[in-house]
Amino acid sequence: MPPDPLPELLPGTLYLLILRTLSHGPLHGYAIVKRIKEASREGLQIEDGSLYPALNRMLVKGWLASEWGVSENHRKARFYRLTPEGHKQLDKEAGEFDRLVRAIQLVMRTA
Amino acid sequence: MALWKEIGNRLAWLFRRSRFERELDDEIGFHLQTRADELEQAGWTGAEALRQARREFGPMLRSREETRSAWQMRWLEDLGADLRYAARALRRNRALALAAVGSLALGIGANTTIFSVAREALFSEPSCRDPQSLVQISMGGDSWIPMAQYRLLEDAHAFDGLAGMNIQMVVNWRDGNRSYRLAGTRVTDNFFEVTGIPVAMGRPIERGESNVAVITHGFWTKHLGGDPNVVGRVLALDGEPYTVVGVLPRDHRMLAGFGFTPDLYLTKDPIEVMLYARLPRGMTRQAAYARLKPVCRELDRVYPDVNRKWEKEARLSTVGGVERLAENGQGAMPVVAFFGMLVVVTAIVVLIACANVSSLLLARAFTRSREFAIRMSLGCSRGRLVRQLLAESLLLALLGTSAGLLLNLWLTRLLSGVHIPTPLPIELVIQPDRMLLAYSVALAFVVTMATGLVPALKGTRAGIGGALKEGGRQAGPAGYTLRNALVVGQLAVSILLLSVGLLFLRNLMYATSFNAGFDTSHTVVATFQTVWGTYTPQRLAGLVDTALERLRALPGVEAASPASAVPLNPFLAFNRPGGQFRPDAGSRTVPVQYNFNAVGPDYFRILGIPVLQGRAFADSDRIGAPQVVILNQNLARRLFGDTNPVGHILRFPNNRDARVVGIVRNCKYVTLGEENAMALYEPHAQQNYAAFAHFFVRTRGAPETMARKVEETLAGLDAGAAVETRSMGEIFAGALLPSRLGAAVLGSMALFGLLLASIGLYGVLLYATQQRIREIGIRVALGATPRDVLAIVVGKSLRLVGAGVVIGLAVAAVAVRPLSMFLVPEVRPADPMNFVLVACMLALVATLATLPPTARALRVDPAVALRHE
Repeated sequence: MPPDPLPELLPGTLYLLILRTLSHGPLHGYAIVKRIKEASREGLQIEDGSLYPALNRMLVKGWLASEWGVSENHRKARFYRLTPEGHKQLDKEAGEFDRLVRAIQLVMRTA
Repeated sequence: MALWKEIGNRLAWLFRRSRFERELDDEIGFHLQTRADELEQAGWTGAEALRQARREFGPMLRSREETRSAWQMRWLEDLGADLRYAARALRRNRALALAAVGSLALGIGANTTIFSVAREALFSEPSCRDPQSLVQISMGGDSWIPMAQYRLLEDAHAFDGLAGMNIQMVVNWRDGNRSYRLAGTRVTDNFFEVTGIPVAMGRPIERGESNVAVITHGFWTKHLGGDPNVVGRVLALDGEPYTVVGVLPRDHRMLAGFGFTPDLYLTKDPIEVMLYARLPRGMTRQAAYARLKPVCRELDRVYPDVNRKWEKEARLSTVGGVERLAENGQGAMPVVAFFGMLVVVTAIVVLIACANVSSLLLARAFTRSREFAIRMSLGCSRGRLVRQLLAESLLLALLGTSAGLLLNLWLTRLLSGVHIPTPLPIELVIQPDRMLLAYSVALAFVVTMATGLVPALKGTRAGIGGALKEGGRQAGPAGYTLRNALVVGQLAVSILLLSVGLLFLRNLMYATSFNAGFDTSHTVVATFQTVWGTYTPQRLAGLVDTALERLRALPGVEAASPASAVPLNPFLAFNRPGGQFRPDAGSRTVPVQYNFNAVGPDYFRILGIPVLQGRAFADSDRIGAPQVVILNQNLARRLFGDTNPVGHILRFPNNRDARVVGIVRNCKYVTLGEENAMALYEPHAQQNYAAFAHFFVRTRGAPETMARKVEETLAGLDAGAAVETRSMGEIFAGALLPSRLGAAVLGSMALFGLLLASIGLYGVLLYATQQRIREIGIRVALGATPRDVLAIVVGKSLRLVGAGVVIGLAVAAVAVRPLSMFLVPEVRPADPMNFVLVACMLALVATLATLPPTARALRVDPAVALRHE
């Protein structure tokens, strides 16, 4: 029997995941994908191709800043970090997400 | 806020696009490489690992495209491309671009300048703290109230503060051994506290202070040499020392508006004031009005006045904008109407310029219809083509508007510096502001749409088949019709502009050449203003006699006379009394209102006003002698009909009797525009004046050279009095100013409009001729005479001009009617002569515009033309 396909991301949660992942410190794109995969114990898989459009949209909005640096494997890589606006956005979205999940759970348990 | 930041980020991206592409490549490369490294460690081979990494990454192109689109502003980039394309097209057509931008710039420059001036003069916000909560109060239908009533109002504490101001004050300033008349504004001591008018240097006048003054920037620089230590300086004003405590900023705008700018504000309670109240925070005008009502009732109880019910018509109005205009009512009407007319006229000029540009673009769009057809057949949408054509007109509009704005800045700076030669202290501080910018942007938008939309739509309508078949040589009949209509419209509105311009030119010519009823060439007028309260009527009468003696003794002086009013001078205006008069002291009453002047025996001789019947005043008409009056023709006819009134008794409304001793010819009194004005003169020596007198001096030579001597003579009589001398010619020139201004502005606008319209006509005719060269060639080859060829071009010109003239005259005949309010009565807007002249002028210019295309048509050589593509 093939393994269950990984669940699709809820719309809009990609930003939240990236913000949260970067809240500990700057990372490059590949590390972000990897970190999310690990943190979700392989439960979430971001499509590599959709990561960079998302990162750039967040750059436009001013939530992230980027600069070039050297990666752990000694290659030139682009590192992303949260701006103060990014931190604010994370707080906001995290709160909203919590409320949403709690509400859904309530409905699932009681209704 | 976030939105702006985002737009900023996107804009910044536009400038590092190539770097962005490179970096995205690097970044994706790094991603794939890192993943491949990992896979290799897990046992994959190099090439397999990289392929797997790519597979995992997903469609590369889509990712890149989506990443790029995160930054892009499609419309902006398209617009940029369109503008670049348009700029190239305009560079190729430099003459067209220059003509279009130039005419737009002149039109827009004129229009925005009128806008700036009107905005400053009429709608400018006064300099004060929080103008929204400051209101002007008027009661009993009048904005002036006496001081006693003001005190009662102030003590009622109905508002956060109440202050009074009187702008109509002449103040004598003694500087060294000379005295000057200044325009002073007297204010209550709390005036600055209540209004919060900012000062640039020093401090405002404070509550409880007296004998202090705040001076305006203009007075400080012009009369005090910009003295940096002026604060603390003592000025002798009306014989009392006043300490300067502050200087107002250069852009101080007075509460009264209209650019009215006095020399200084000083503490001294005037006889009556205009009221300003500061409303408590958040109080609505209705609530304030409710508070005012009971105070007004109290006023009616304490100061009952049969002529004025305080409670009636009590009003609160804001200190800026439209309400201040409404508060000034009748006085402001002609000014507003005049500016309104100027705005309309300059807008018409802009429209004519737009029509030219539109017509040129239309011609271009048709010659390019083949290009469009090819592009459309290759899949370009019509919308895209329209947008590209609009970009061209947008570029023209932007260039024209920017050039127009530069012109505006230059003109308004010029106007700001100019001292307007009116007797009223008026100075305009015109600065560019956001409103001007918004107005210009709106104008540019209108111009873009007006010039570009129709050519763009028409030019791309032909569709694919039609334009390709026709070979792009023939413009469709729709294009002709539209361009013809544009030219007819231009000619029609030029007729309107010319009619207006001509009326004002005739007005100026008439006003300059006609005599106002008196001779202005050899008269010096001196105004002698004593310090209030230093003279009794008897003493002043003695002083006037001495002054006359000394003036007459001056070499070069023919005669001298005192007077209480100076004609054509609103600042030294006539009293205009009126009431029920009884001719012959009978029972018949006649209601009249007239201009009053008290004059000496030589007054009529000096001004060259002929005494038609009876006599002028004599030295014997003094206090104690029987009271006598002299009437002008209008008043005499009104009171006595056709009978000769000399010798008859006239009973005044207060039952005083005087004998009519003479009739003098009518002349102008207050303005050049007045009609059938009535006037009544009394002997100066029979009046009780205690403060001032005007002296009219007739000189043998040029009056300007005598002004100095007259001034010295009068100043020698009382060192405290302020003396001001001007020649009557100067005063007359001041009265002519509105006519000059109107004629200059409207005349030049009319000529400019005519020029643009004739260029439009020329362009259309030339284009039509060029389109028909082949046809003309065939006709000539088949035996058409030059006369027939002439008929083709001239016939078209005649049709266009004829239609334009007919429509224009019909519109103008109605539209110029209301202009009579600005013109001397002798120039009638409906005068058919105006329209004949205007039509002739247009016909002449149209002929000039028709000549070159006609010459072109006559030169057509059939051999060449038939090969013409």
